[in-house]
Amino acid sequence: MRILIVEDDPDLSRQLSTALKDAGYAVDMANDGEEGHFLGDTEPYDAVVLDLGLPVIDGISILQKWRSDGKKFPVIILTARDQWSEKVSGFDAGADDYLTKPFHTEELLARLRALVRRAAGHTTDTIDIGDLMVDNRSARAFVEGMPIKLTSHEFRLLAYMAMHVGRVISRTELVEHIYDQDFDRDSNTIEVFVGRLRRKIGVDRIETVRGLGYRLLDPSKDGN
Amino acid sequence: MKDRAVKNGSLVWRLVRSAALWAVPALLVTALSLILFYRASTYRIFDDPLINTISSLIAYVETDAGDGKLVLTSEPIDPSYQRALSGRYWLIGKLQENGQLEPIISSPSLYGATLVLPKADAAKIKNQSGAVVHSIALGPDKEPLRLAAQSVIFPDTDSPVVIVVAADRRSAAKAMRQFSYLAFGLMTIIALGLSAAIFMQVRLGLRPLFDLRDKVADVRQGRKSSVEGAYPKEIKPLADELNILIGHNKEVVDYARTHVGNLAHALKTPLAVLVNEADNKNTKFAKLVMRQTEEMSRQVDHHLRRARAAVRGQSIGVKTSVTDTVTSLTRTLERIYRDKDLDIQIMIPENLLFRGEKRDLEEMVGNLMDNACKWTQTGIHIRAELDQVRDGRLRLSVDDDGPGLGEDEYEKVLKRGLRLDEATPGSGFGLSIVNDLATAYKGSLHLEKSSHGGLRAVLILPSISDVL
Repeated sequence: MRILIVEDDPDLSRQLSTALKDAGYAVDMANDGEEGHFLGDTEPYDAVVLDLGLPVIDGISILQKWRSDGKKFPVIILTARDQWSEKVSGFDAGADDYLTKPFHTEELLARLRALVRRAAGHTTDTIDIGDLMVDNRSARAFVEGMPIKLTSHEFRLLAYMAMHVGRVISRTELVEHIYDQDFDRDSNTIEVFVGRLRRKIGVDRIETVRGLGYRLLDPSKDGN
Repeated sequence: MKDRAVKNGSLVWRLVRSAALWAVPALLVTALSLILFYRASTYRIFDDPLINTISSLIAYVETDAGDGKLVLTSEPIDPSYQRALSGRYWLIGKLQENGQLEPIISSPSLYGATLVLPKADAAKIKNQSGAVVHSIALGPDKEPLRLAAQSVIFPDTDSPVVIVVAADRRSAAKAMRQFSYLAFGLMTIIALGLSAAIFMQVRLGLRPLFDLRDKVADVRQGRKSSVEGAYPKEIKPLADELNILIGHNKEVVDYARTHVGNLAHALKTPLAVLVNEADNKNTKFAKLVMRQTEEMSRQVDHHLRRARAAVRGQSIGVKTSVTDTVTSLTRTLERIYRDKDLDIQIMIPENLLFRGEKRDLEEMVGNLMDNACKWTQTGIHIRAELDQVRDGRLRLSVDDDGPGLGEDEYEKVLKRGLRLDEATPGSGFGLSIVNDLATAYKGSLHLEKSSHGGLRAVLILPSISDVL
């Protein structure tokens, strides 16, 4: 999962970035409205954390632009402005959630998880695929109840595929959703990660669809 | 305000009073002049026959060649002089020092009596020989008399004699008294009429001012957003200044609000950084930072709300549609509580208006609805109407079917800063915020048991009953 943080306070940005990376997300940061809008407009994020009082362009305007351009990613507004009039204008601009500062990191993480899984059509933080279980809450995966050791990139790959289980996902899409902007994107590394993941969760679970991409199979559903 | 009004009185009365200040003395002087003039002319008319009679008597008097006594060759024609005690008398005699007349010849009407003149007049008569002097005396029937007297020296006599003609002065006095009453009566009527005219004129003249007063009240109560209308050039600057002031008031309120908001933003982000840095670290220092930052953010919240509440309820000429506000809040709350799948029922008349800022109504109703959504099982009910029983104020209630509260808890949760819901961070101030805000708008918030099973919060607020 790849998250965009638009926040002008460098300390808070750094903290959020660390917390989100620890929770298994790829994170991009923008510290002004213009950069934030540009990133949201060009990159396929799974969720956005948006501050309202930003330099250059304010948060509400960015959100309105994204929504009028048809961007559907979930957005959580993170702001000091705690009045209902501000909440109403935030939601009316197209926000999916609203969290006021100061806040606890767990609260933000819980709400982000909820937004991401709701966007993908899941109702819980854990996804069961046969005897494979992906726990987004703790950023861990289990096979037959036993935890498996995964690097952060491996977990991101697995979590994204689990979120979209049964669907063929292109390499490009995987690259876009598991690496942050600054990462050296070599699509060959995806093949390396998929190979490593296959060894850890079972070779048959990930199918290669030639010319299209990869698919995580759900053994309980025939024909996948 | 009231004391000043009493001290300075009304403008109308000031103007009427200052007009009366010259009108009343002027009328009084006029009345007195008229009376004096009437008195003089009455006496002239009264005195003419007396003086004529003196002239006749002088002509009729002769000195008897034998004994040198004075005799009359003829008597004055007026028959009143013949009738005893008729009120008209003449007398020719010698004047004593004490004013007593010693008659030589007198009219039969005197009936043998004599007249006593005041001493001062007696001296005057003696000194001004040949001049007619007016005086008063009591007649034989004790009637008040006015008399004319002249000291005459006839040929062949050595000492002067005095000729006195008198008449009852009561009829003249009565006429003068009646005239005085008439004069004062008429002047009083004129004075009253004048006052009424001045009063009317002043009211008419000040009408634009009264009109301005009504317009300002309209603005204050939110029926208009500025003072409109054509005013005479004397008070037009006042109306213009008022409009500028109203505009300035709005700017000041906006400015204060903006800066309070900026302060909130400026303080809360660093607080968030501190909370995040200390969160989940098990050191003593981290725990200290955690405790202190939580206290700091609680204080910041509390005082920012107080500061915001202070600028509230002061904006002039603002009105907000209740329906629009509740509809947009419902949209927001449905997204916040989308996992709960709540049924939010709204019963609000289309044209209901709140007299105040939209954001304040949103803050109050938003907190009440949020609280209801948090606790309810299936849905919430929002009703609003004009409370016709209580001077037409806006009455808005929010009901839920949650667990509700005990009656002893009602007062506690409305108290400032107490958290109703300690478990959910950052949400505890809800009801006390609403209470503070409602109070700032001179309204109220009270809690009761809902007919739907949970809590009912009732908000009473100023409204505008007329349609936009």
